[in-house]
Amino acid sequence: MWVTNLKIVGVVLGVLSLYTLIANKIPQVQSEVPQALALGANVTPEQLVAAGEKVFNGIGGCTTCHGLGTRAPNLLTDEKGTGPIGARCGRRETGKTCKQYLFESLDNPTAYVVPGYQPIMPVMTKQLSPEQVWAVIAFLESQGGTVDVTASDIPAPSPGALTPGASPGSPGSGPPGFAAGSTDPKAIIQAAGCLACHKLDGQGQMIAPDLTHVGSRRDAESIRKKILDPASSVAKGYEKLAGIMPKTFGSMMNASQLEALVQYLAAHK
Amino acid sequence: MSDVLLLVQAAADTTRAYGEFPVIGARAAVWIAAEVHLMFAAFVLGVPMFAVVTEAIGIFGGDERYDRLSKEFTRLLLVAYSATAIWGTVLLFFLATLYPRFFAYLFAIFKYSAWVYAGLFFFESFTLYLYYYGWDRWKKGRAKVGHWTLGILLNVWGTIVMFIANSWLTYMMSPPRDIGPTTDPTTIKLWHAIANATWMPINVHRLVANVVFGGAIVGAYASYRFLAARTDEERAHYDWMGYVGNFIAISALIVLPFAGYWLGREIYQYDQSMGITMMGGFMSWLWVIQAFLIAVLFLTGNYYLWIGMGRIPGAERFRPYTKWLLAVLVLGAIVWGTPHTMIADSKELAAMGGSHHPFLGALGVMSAKNTAVNLMILTTFLSFLMYRRGNMRLVVPWARAGTMIQAAMFAIAAGVVLFYGIRGYFVDAIVRIGFSVYQVLAVLACIAGVTVIDILLGRGAQSLGAIQWGKMPPRSQYALFILAVTFTWLMGLMGFARSGVRQYWHVWQVMQDTSKYAATPALGYASKMISLCVLIFLSLVAFVFWLGGLAEKSTFVSAGEGKARHVGH
Repeated sequence: MWVTNLKIVGVVLGVLSLYTLIANKIPQVQSEVPQALALGANVTPEQLVAAGEKVFNGIGGCTTCHGLGTRAPNLLTDEKGTGPIGARCGRRETGKTCKQYLFESLDNPTAYVVPGYQPIMPVMTKQLSPEQVWAVIAFLESQGGTVDVTASDIPAPSPGALTPGASPGSPGSGPPGFAAGSTDPKAIIQAAGCLACHKLDGQGQMIAPDLTHVGSRRDAESIRKKILDPASSVAKGYEKLAGIMPKTFGSMMNASQLEALVQYLAAHK
Repeated sequence: MSDVLLLVQAAADTTRAYGEFPVIGARAAVWIAAEVHLMFAAFVLGVPMFAVVTEAIGIFGGDERYDRLSKEFTRLLLVAYSATAIWGTVLLFFLATLYPRFFAYLFAIFKYSAWVYAGLFFFESFTLYLYYYGWDRWKKGRAKVGHWTLGILLNVWGTIVMFIANSWLTYMMSPPRDIGPTTDPTTIKLWHAIANATWMPINVHRLVANVVFGGAIVGAYASYRFLAARTDEERAHYDWMGYVGNFIAISALIVLPFAGYWLGREIYQYDQSMGITMMGGFMSWLWVIQAFLIAVLFLTGNYYLWIGMGRIPGAERFRPYTKWLLAVLVLGAIVWGTPHTMIADSKELAAMGGSHHPFLGALGVMSAKNTAVNLMILTTFLSFLMYRRGNMRLVVPWARAGTMIQAAMFAIAAGVVLFYGIRGYFVDAIVRIGFSVYQVLAVLACIAGVTVIDILLGRGAQSLGAIQWGKMPPRSQYALFILAVTFTWLMGLMGFARSGVRQYWHVWQVMQDTSKYAATPALGYASKMISLCVLIFLSLVAFVFWLGGLAEKSTFVSAGEGKARHVGH
């Protein structure tokens, strides 16, 4: 019986060892906690590229779409014979350098939608801090091109300002808001980039629900909730775009702006 | 947003938020306690399901062997319940002392359900005592049916307990969207927190998985007793028991992917980024390992059946077909194991020439994988059918026509699966996802239809000879052990996937993990933890089995007392 027992123990340990061995032989990827990025004035291109790669693969969420091959163009590998992004970015728009093109693509993604893809990319300059944005640009340039991002490209933060992806200011200091704090709803809509996805009074894109008559579908409370927490409800027919609308608007505009925008939209019956 | 939350929550952690555990650390301590507790919980939930079904077969089928089998396993439950409670208490203490802030948060929301949970343990325990100790007292007529009702009640309590515990862990994974980092937990309505997006999919998935697990553990127990048997009669009894355990495990396994698919769909609908992290992000390699384990399960389960056909007179007719079944299973496993969207760095992507492998990338998409797994399920069902038909000579006049209809059903189901699998390459992703429903329905319809016809075909069938229970080579019993170990390991792996997909959040996007263990470990580390937990669990189960053997002699009866039948006959 001891022989049988030993054989059973051998089978159990053998199976466990096999599974453990296989799991240790595959590439090991650990999910890290995102860290805030602090780049000094003497940051080197190599440091920028390394930081940008982390943002690209981590907090930036870029790999959610870029690299899947179906949602957005490949950036790190060849895209339909044009090479990786660093090799093709300088040729994308006449008169624009690679650096300019990449920054504008992150700041206003709907301006340069590659044919064959949907304009679903959020405004990354509102999701990431300037340090993170320029680090990503440096990383993208390094993919087949030359890195020319320097510390001078990164704007110094204005005193007291809250920038996305950075630490909050002192308690009680609110965000300055879009459009320098203007409470003009049209200016807020323009600055927040709402029309990149929504249509309003004949302007804008039809990716997300048309807001021209939003007041007839939602009351002010519902609109406010939707802006502050976009995932709280999803319009019928737009389920597959759930999660696309940035969740950061609530922390990026001040209370006066939010109320001005909410009342303006609620009046659109 | 994540950075801001991290800083705000870190600043708020002015009081002690985390404790430390010597040597292995707090996370490993909680991991082991939770995993081993969960394995025992699955055991004490899965085995009663098994027991109540086998008791019913004994009552309504008139075969006393099933009744004795049911009792044998209920006896093991007595000790297993204690082990479950002990590990549950360990987990509770670990959480309260190592993650006090998080524990306080959860308890602020779920305290009432936690009290109900504790209360149900009393009901469950006393029902178990009545069920076991009343076995010989209530063994005839209405009293026996009443006794069986106790078994059902035991399952009801157990299922409610599981549903309550599931609500806690699914809340951590998919809290309702109106709950944010600043929401006071005492203001969250209990039912609102319970009925979160992944609660019911997890409930169903675990319910089915517990049946699989219970069957696999029963199979392992029987195989041990088979190998240790001193007489042919004893060997025959445990051979039969192992077959029953394997039959139940594999039958439930066939349904499990559908429940898993529903869960995955709900995760995507709840938060697409969580779904992408799970399937295409840092967890993408996990599914390659899962595919390997599933392949082992399918191949080993079928292998056991094919060997079992050696003890069925007449089953040699079907032996030539097994090599084709093996070919389908191997091909299916290879397709299912083919990676698609793997997380890779720029060098790896450049080496591959794109985000997907130029050739294998086409096999790694869900269209191909769904097709592969559905064909594997059909193949396994065909193995069962051949096993069932092994010693039967059909006598109904429409036997040939019936068999042809069955073959046509298989062909149609396989055709539907292949059609939608290929069509999936030419449509948008959102349309493609819907195709899997048609594939699943085709397979389920085939299984249901063929089974009904087979039962009708078997009416009055002549026997080509009784099944020679016990005439199995030892390697067949080791196959049952491999099944049990693999099921248990798979449970640990899927637990890691479900829990790990939250990454650095205790409660997804509501309460951040700011401890030094916030990073989610890679699969290599996770696999060592899983293996350790499986080893602890199996060692304790072996101890439980040994104790069960000390308490009472086994329940095998001589072959002459029961009819030599097998499930499905």
